[in-house]
Amino acid sequence: MKILIADDETLSRRLLERTLERAGYEVVAVENGKLALEQLSKLDGPRLALLDWIMPELDGPGVCRAVRMRSEQTYVYMVLLTSKGSKEETVLGLESGADDYLTKPFNAEELRARLRVGERILLLEDRLVEARENMRFRATHDPLTSLLNRGAVMDLLARELHRSHREKKTTAILLGDVDHFKRVNDTMGHVIGDEVLMEIANRLISAVRSYDFVGRYGGEEFLVVLNSCDPAFAPGRAEAIRKSISNRAILTAKGPLTLTMSFGVLLSAEWGMRSVEELLHEADTALYEAKAAGRDCLRLAKPTKKTEPPTTTVPESVPLRH
Amino acid sequence: MNKTEEGISGPVWNLAELLERVDNDQELLRDLVNIFKEDFPRTMRFLESAIAVADLKNVARLSHTLKGMLSSLGGVRTAAAAARLEVMASAGESASLKSVFDTLQREGASLLPELDAYMAEVGR
Repeated sequence: MKILIADDETLSRRLLERTLERAGYEVVAVENGKLALEQLSKLDGPRLALLDWIMPELDGPGVCRAVRMRSEQTYVYMVLLTSKGSKEETVLGLESGADDYLTKPFNAEELRARLRVGERILLLEDRLVEARENMRFRATHDPLTSLLNRGAVMDLLARELHRSHREKKTTAILLGDVDHFKRVNDTMGHVIGDEVLMEIANRLISAVRSYDFVGRYGGEEFLVVLNSCDPAFAPGRAEAIRKSISNRAILTAKGPLTLTMSFGVLLSAEWGMRSVEELLHEADTALYEAKAAGRDCLRLAKPTKKTEPPTTTVPESVPLRH
Repeated sequence: MNKTEEGISGPVWNLAELLERVDNDQELLRDLVNIFKEDFPRTMRFLESAIAVADLKNVARLSHTLKGMLSSLGGVRTAAAAARLEVMASAGESASLKSVFDTLQREGASLLPELDAYMAEVGR
């Protein structure tokens, strides 16, 4: 584990450095508080720190206060090294944000034991962060496909629509539905149905850029959001996404299945500033039109229904292959 | 060696404590002695100049540095003299700084031969 030593006095610094290297730490040694803060502010900087109380530039308590003012970074366990002994000074040191203090000259065994306490605290913090991240993931993702869930993808879409409106760009919304999915569940069972949904999720994710979003909107409905999408290329991109599902069979435990999807596509710039719900309703209407047109195709939602919406010619839907 | 001078007591050099602190690492001990022999006289010169111009802030800072290195090295009596100087300078007492500095210098002068003797002994 990486540890920072900050002490302006060369002899004590060397003694600490060697003691900690022998204990298996990867030591970073600096001679003032400002350099200490720089090291502790690095993304992969040390998370354990031994800070001398009195140092040039910035003293030990000053480093502790500055580190504790940050809220976004991981926890740093800081031990103040002091030759000061009064209770008032101990309290001042701990209230500056230090986790512990050690009186100089230190005893090597005590120093190692106190650092082990620090490591335990950091391990506990890691576990808490991991648990929080898992909970956050579960709250925003679909447990079957690991795609964003409906709430999360709609939140992201709302944010993206505001951004694209502000920057005068276009967000393409693709609302897709797996054709005849009920047949898969009815004839092959829900386990195979789940396998199909997982593979479709993988293909959709693979078909978009890293900054686009894909979410599971409902049972076999998926929402794809293409950010900053050139309107001229949007139908072509939507078509490529559609074909990523139909162009090769999905391998399941009960054999390969060729499935298709229908999509309702909407380009935000053509609709002005509308709510997510309104736009999704329009995309859903276009999806319904695609279904009515024989499935395995996409339809573009247009604000004026007088104009014939552009369509994409698609082959007839392919029946399930067992 | 134990002696008492102006309230400063204890051994000139607590070698046993230092050996424990360095886990009997003779190479590290040699390193520390070499650092000390370089840093101590230089810091003493700065301290003497600061006392000469009654720069109490620097006297306190330099005495603190000396106290740190001497404590780490086990120079108990010299560290005590440096600590006394630090307390006086921090409290703004400039009257007897010079006499405590003289004590510090004397204690340092007794410490250095002990370090040299030990280094000569282990170097054989």
